[in-house]
Amino acid sequence: MIRTMADMAGALADTGRVNIPRLALGVMLGLTAVAGIFVNPHFTSPRNLANILEQAAGLGFASIGQTLTVLTGGIDLSIGAIISASSVFLAAGIDGNDAMVWPMVAATLALGALIGATNGLLVVRLGVHPLIVTLGMAAIVEGCILLYTLKPTGSTPIWFEGFAWSRLWGMPASGLVMVSTFAVVALCLARTGLGRNIYAIGDNSVAARMRGIPVGQMQVFVYGASGFFAALAGVYFVSRTGVGDPRIGVPFTLSSITPVILGGTLLAGGKGGVIGTLFGVLLISLIGNVLNHMNVATSIQWVVQGLIILAAVSFQGRRRPL
Amino acid sequence: MHTEPAAALELIGVSKRFPGTLALDHVDFAARGGEIHALVGENGAGKSTLVGILGGASAPDTGHVVMDGARRSFASPRDAWAAGIHVIHQELMLFPKLSVAENIFLGVEAGMGLVRRRRWQDAAARLLESLGHRLDPCRSAGTLSVADQQMVEIARALASRARVLVLDEPSAVIAGDEVDALMERLREMREGGVAIVYISHRLEEVFALADRVTVLKDGRRVATRPIENLTQDALTTMMIGRAVKDIFPPRRPRPEEAPVVLSVRNLVSHPRVLDCGLDLQAGEILGLGGLAGAGRSELGEAIFGAAPVRAGTVRFAGEDVTGAPPWEMIRRGMGFLTEDRKSQGLLLLLDIAANISAPALEEFRRAGLLTRGRELKAAEREIARLSIAAPCAESPVTTLSGGNQQKTLFSRWSRLAPKVLILDEPTRGVDVGAKSEIYRIIGSLADNGVAILLISSELSELVGLADRVTVMREGRVTGTLETRDISEEAIMRLAIGAVA
Repeated sequence: MIRTMADMAGALADTGRVNIPRLALGVMLGLTAVAGIFVNPHFTSPRNLANILEQAAGLGFASIGQTLTVLTGGIDLSIGAIISASSVFLAAGIDGNDAMVWPMVAATLALGALIGATNGLLVVRLGVHPLIVTLGMAAIVEGCILLYTLKPTGSTPIWFEGFAWSRLWGMPASGLVMVSTFAVVALCLARTGLGRNIYAIGDNSVAARMRGIPVGQMQVFVYGASGFFAALAGVYFVSRTGVGDPRIGVPFTLSSITPVILGGTLLAGGKGGVIGTLFGVLLISLIGNVLNHMNVATSIQWVVQGLIILAAVSFQGRRRPL
Repeated sequence: MHTEPAAALELIGVSKRFPGTLALDHVDFAARGGEIHALVGENGAGKSTLVGILGGASAPDTGHVVMDGARRSFASPRDAWAAGIHVIHQELMLFPKLSVAENIFLGVEAGMGLVRRRRWQDAAARLLESLGHRLDPCRSAGTLSVADQQMVEIARALASRARVLVLDEPSAVIAGDEVDALMERLREMREGGVAIVYISHRLEEVFALADRVTVLKDGRRVATRPIENLTQDALTTMMIGRAVKDIFPPRRPRPEEAPVVLSVRNLVSHPRVLDCGLDLQAGEILGLGGLAGAGRSELGEAIFGAAPVRAGTVRFAGEDVTGAPPWEMIRRGMGFLTEDRKSQGLLLLLDIAANISAPALEEFRRAGLLTRGRELKAAEREIARLSIAAPCAESPVTTLSGGNQQKTLFSRWSRLAPKVLILDEPTRGVDVGAKSEIYRIIGSLADNGVAILLISSELSELVGLADRVTVMREGRVTGTLETRDISEEAIMRLAIGAVA
């Protein structure tokens, strides 16, 4: 039965007009929403919807950059470490001091971009697969954080926490910032030469180089962007919790990949985009919301998330390469 | 006095040395606008090196590149491309997941700024139209046939206003009628003043298309001649340094009363195998001819169990094996050399020894473990026996030329002492010299009693090698020619269904 469905999906995809991953994602979003309405009478209340969006913000920031690296045929396993590092760096740097807030936010974002760009530089210079480079970088960065502190550290002024929790027109500001960041990146991917180059490199990097696309520079840029967005996630978490947490990023290294896959971006690169990832993020947040309402334990939620990834990938047809 | 037209691109006294070989030795070469210049030679003659220098992928050690009378040196393919030299490699440099339009314009309309998607699509459609080719510019390039992909490459050359177009063996990867269409496009581009350099193994194409021919052998230029001063035999002799009739090995006469080892009746498989029957005797070479798309490879796969059998029977050595899977056919003594060596035949990451031993691992196993020493020794023997040009048995199989890779596969299968060997285009992409050696191997296999089913698109191969030839058309067998009736014309008649 699953095989037949996969075959049908494959046949549909071959016609080139139906985007199977997107269709599958839409179906799953719909099913989850229906389940939500079923178990929670207040599911569609503005308050609950705002919650869903708010819950999605952190994962959203983390997975924007991941989408970019995957599109070039790479991957970034240092996202979690960069989130943790940004969180500790920012909170410790501010340490309750009003005047330090904005300079430190800027410095944190720059630090994230710098770590990311270093990843990119190593990928280019060493010619080693990004998986290995970013894995090594993650270990180094995490080691450095733990050398500095083992416990949550630093503090921020109360007003800074307001950013994470504030509402604009009844919507969570964090979620709106996340969605608009996705929109800007999506536009760049779809409508600029920069975006085309990212797809081209992921599709066939040899051909890209032959055509004079600056493959090395693009990779430094993409990993730098990934580090930047991870740092943005870190800033968001500090604003949310008021402290720097040396372990806050740990789960995000792998969970930032989930929405990318759900969104239909090929792990091999060259195909996909951040809009799919955004809906992947929303799906995960939606599922969390529904399961939370049913009082399902976090451990079970992980199992459900795993099942959903497998379901999504089998939906997408057997011919789908990675 | 007749004055030579100026060359668009010229190589003067170019030499290139790689570790161990002098790949090019003071070669002169000129491509003129409005001319198709064929470049021929065996593998290893230096054609790829020459293309690399023309296209800016490598720089010559001595000599220089001249464009429009001025010396040029290209630092990269991008440089050469910017100067108007466009190389279409055999393995096409496309982005399979991106659209046709993006493939044409990416890198041509450079920059990081805004992309006018709609404009690219319209311009791509117009370009393809001007090539007489209707393709949806939004389709992803990977879903196109290889011939259509070539058209995309050519459209890209037009879009970047290429003045010199170099095609490296374009016909090796596309079917006959597609080759005709390609040649038609190239003639039109010649009228437009483009200088075209055409590299091919197939001399018929060279004679149909080229104005001049340059022959390379062992890194040296043998000659550059106008095509009308040449015959195919003369050209072949220049390329390989010996006459054509010596390419095929002498054969023992076909055993008259040999047993039938493989008998196929009314086989239906793919959409392309509708009703096929044939008989194969021990020790004979049965050619299987037909046009591209006639279903020959598919029939081979169905016999071997690699494709589903919907109806009909396959009897092998007296037993009904219809629908048996490949591993069982191998166990019973059938081998299959695929057309696509890279993706279906070779273990690309492993060395020569591992490739040779792959199907017969039991032979090298002691107490359940492989003994590398035995494997290597066996491989060394095979390398000597088939004269595979390899540094040693532990060299990666990817370092071998196409012909030597094919010999490695022959070695693999012949180790199994097969009763039947199905060969699907065994000499595709292989140069004349290596072809001759592969023919010798095939001949000696048959002389030793192996029944060979030889699937081939090359008529000369069927005529020169096969004892009998079965011909297919549109999924059906249209006839079988006995030894005395085999000729290129007879095969073609059956292949296109013309009434004699």
